[in-house]
This record gives sequence, structure tokens and C-alpha cells, in this order.
Amino acid sequence: MALATDESVHELPEMTPMGNPLDWSWLRGTRAEWGMNPVPSRRGLTMMDIATGTYGEVLEEPPYRSMAPRGADIDEDTPDMGYILNHKSQVWADNVVELYEEAVARQWSSTRDIPWNELQELPSDIEHAMCQLCTVLTEIEMIATDLPAKWMWRMNHHFVEAKMFLATQIMDEARHADVFRKRALANGGGLLLSGSGDESLLRSILEAKTYTQASALLHLLGEGFILDVFRQGELIAPTHVEKKIFRLSMQDEARHVAYGTMHIRQAIAGDPDVADEIHEALDHGEQFLIEFGTSPVLSSALAILLGGGSEHIEDKGFPMQSLLATKIFTSYLARCERAGLNRIDRTDLPLELLGIDIDAFDRTGV
Amino acid sequence: MSDRVNDLAFYQDLADLMNAHPDQYETLGEVDFTLGVLMAAEGGNDLRLRLRFEDLGCADVSPLSEGGEASCDCWLEGDTDSWGEMFDDITTNGRATGRRTINSLTLVGDRIDVRGDDPMGVDKFFRFNQTIQQFFDGAAQLAPSSA
Repeated sequence: MALATDESVHELPEMTPMGNPLDWSWLRGTRAEWGMNPVPSRRGLTMMDIATGTYGEVLEEPPYRSMAPRGADIDEDTPDMGYILNHKSQVWADNVVELYEEAVARQWSSTRDIPWNELQELPSDIEHAMCQLCTVLTEIEMIATDLPAKWMWRMNHHFVEAKMFLATQIMDEARHADVFRKRALANGGGLLLSGSGDESLLRSILEAKTYTQASALLHLLGEGFILDVFRQGELIAPTHVEKKIFRLSMQDEARHVAYGTMHIRQAIAGDPDVADEIHEALDHGEQFLIEFGTSPVLSSALAILLGGGSEHIEDKGFPMQSLLATKIFTSYLARCERAGLNRIDRTDLPLELLGIDIDAFDRTGV
Repeated sequence: MSDRVNDLAFYQDLADLMNAHPDQYETLGEVDFTLGVLMAAEGGNDLRLRLRFEDLGCADVSPLSEGGEASCDCWLEGDTDSWGEMFDDITTNGRATGRRTINSLTLVGDRIDVRGDDPMGVDKFFRFNQTIQQFFDGAAQLAPSSA
């Protein structure tokens, strides 16, 4: 690949008229690759298309800890930004570039894309239950903005696509907080009860000691659970308006889970000892999640919605909740296996009570 | 409608509809997803097809061989009666409603389930769910003669 050299450029001034020095080395030749000419794909010029040559080489341990862009000719004395996540396996996931492009392409607007004027008046118990669910979701969704934000500024800029993806996650979660807050208020109801139990789960995620522990708790455990709550939300949505809200939110959440699953896999591949610290975090996280998932507030609201009204809590609501709990935790354990974590033989989750068939897991990962 | 759900041409009509209106899918974003559909019918006339979604369209509708579902990101598995009821609901109401949306049907999973060899492939079903739902909802727009 030709270098950025142009010998025809000469006799350039060394100083500005104000007496400031000029540096023409960027014009006369750098060590950076030049003339890449990436070919846009059918959808346009993607980050995958420009990941050519050194621009696409994501090093295991980048030599610099600065914000200098990967592939540039970087000054040897570029400052250390104090990054603490400097190894690829600490932040990367093999699917993160594609997920970033997917996230950019699938952004939506709670203002524009939800047909708010088609909401319908609902029975009081259903409206209250929907508003309670929206209160919980509005509260917990912002953890998935705060957590990446807490760690992003400590991530080496060499892994810029991972940071860009996390930036889309932050936007996604802001939109979720936005759309559920709007839904709570939009149909004659309002925000209802914020239970103290919810905050315990959020604190455990936010206070994780390492990013990989935090990612396991957030992306794999927490968002995997919320993904299934969104699936339930779509199932129990009283009108097509709520269905669209939950479907669009579900799509976002599934991207975050996909990143987390593959990040954990990469983290363990890069350092097998990390598996122990992830297990330790999930040991605690799963208990908090059980407390959260069975909280009297959330489970009673879901029981009304799943039953289709307060008169069907016991004959429809609870049985459906039980069925869905089996699905939620089966999905979670399967994702753990995919991430390279055998939780089946370690978890304290009440697998038998949850109706989970442990023989269905091969325990070797995919 | 339910009399066409075993007909590959019906899904090609849905694909043609999607491909003719990429603008309706643009706000949902591009897709890279291969979905299998395996619906058992009495008498052995099972529905087995592969839907390949690329960018803003459905690039391929083709029959799925025995065991071919392994080449899909994930697949839907159930019976043609339930599958047909989903499309009847779509044509009656203009879109899937209540518990007959594709997410709802597979979440309960008693009649139609989503399966896959890789949880990452199954999760694509959720990542692209609005697009998939809109694709199936297209059945409401097919002319009665083709329905």
C-alpha cells in the first residue's frame, strides 16, 4: 500500500505570518496507510467496509493509551489518557462492529414512530398495571446508560467500535426510559410505585468491580431478563400501540444481549481466569434478579396483565407467569453456555422449581 | 388465507410486496437474517421453507430440505393450523393482533415455537422482530385473488 507521500510538495513556509511553526509532515508522508478506497456495500459505506489494512487491525494490546485514532501515524509522545481497559478481551466482541451498524440503522423515535393518538381507554386495573410496569421499566432502563458511561472513558480508544456500540446502547436506553415514561402518562394514568428492591439490583450492577463483571451482570443477566420482559410486554399489550413499543424496545435490547454474550465469550477466551470472577458476580446477581423478578410490585402488575384483568390473576396470570419464568431462565442459561460459562452446575437458581430441564444443556458452549 | 399457507408462492408474494416497498422498512433498518419455517400438517403435507432477509428486502424464498433448518439462524416450528390462524387474524384485522403476533405465539410456545442451534441465532429473531412482523402483516395487503 502506497504511503501518503507527495514529493512534488516543496518550498512550503516553515512559519505562519504570526510566527507560529508549521508542520507539513502529514502532507509529505506519514506511516499511515493511504489510498484505501473501500468499496461501499449495498447499504452504504459501513464500518465493516472501511476495516481494511491496519485500519481494521484490532490489536490485542495496543501500544498507546491515547485518543489517537487507530491506523493514524501516532506521535510517540502521545499522552497517556489513563485508560485501564487496554486489552482487547476486556471490551471487545467479535460481533460488535456489525451490531454498531445495526444499531445505527435501527434507531427509532418514541415521539414519531409510536401512534400515540391510537391508544384506547382501558379497564382501570389494566391501565394501572401497565402504568406500574412502565414505572419499573422507566426506572431500571437508565442503569444501562449509567453503567456503560461509567466504563467507556476508561476504555482504550483503539477499541473505538466497542465504544461506539456502547454509545448506541446509551441512546437506546434513554429512548426506553423516554417511551415508557410517555406511555405511563399518555393514556390517563401516571407513574406509580418505585420499590426499594429494584434499587438493590441496580446498585449491584453499577458497583461491579470490573467491566467484564459489570457486562455479565448488565448485558447477560439483566438485559437478558428485560429482553424477556419486553417479549412479555408485547404479548400482554392491550393495544397495537403498546405492542409496537415493546417490539421496538425488544429489538434494541436483543442487540445489547448479543454484544454481552460475545464479549463475555471473548473475555474468557482471552483470560480463562476471568470466568471465576464472572461466576462470582453472577452468583450474587442472580439472587438480586430473583428478588427483583418476584418483587410483589412487579409480579402483581404482570399477573394482572398476563391474566387479562384482576379477575384472572390466579387462573391465568400466575400460570402464565410460571411458564414464562421457565423460558426466561432457560434462555439465560443457554446464553451463558454460549458465552462459555457453565452456570447450570453452579447456579443457585431453583432450577427444578423453575421447571428447567438441565439435561437439555450440553455444558460445552456452542 | 389459511388455504395458501402451505404454498411457497404465498411467501414469494409477501417477499415481492416487501421488495416493492423498501421505504416502508427503511425506518426499521437493514436486516441480515435467515429464518426457517417448519409447520407440520396432517397427512404429511408439511410446510418447510427458508426466508432470507437482506438489507431492506427478502432476498430468497425457497423450500427447506430435511435438516436444512440447521443452516438458518433460527426457525419457527409448529403446526399449519396455528400458522394459518395467524394469517387469518392478519387478514381480518390488517395486522396480527392480541396473542397472534409472531413474538406472542413463540413466547407462549405451545403451538408455535422459535428454535435454533445457537442462542445468538435465536436472538436475531428478537433483533429483527418488527421487520419480521411487518413482513407477515403484508398478508393483509395481498389482493384477495392472490390470497
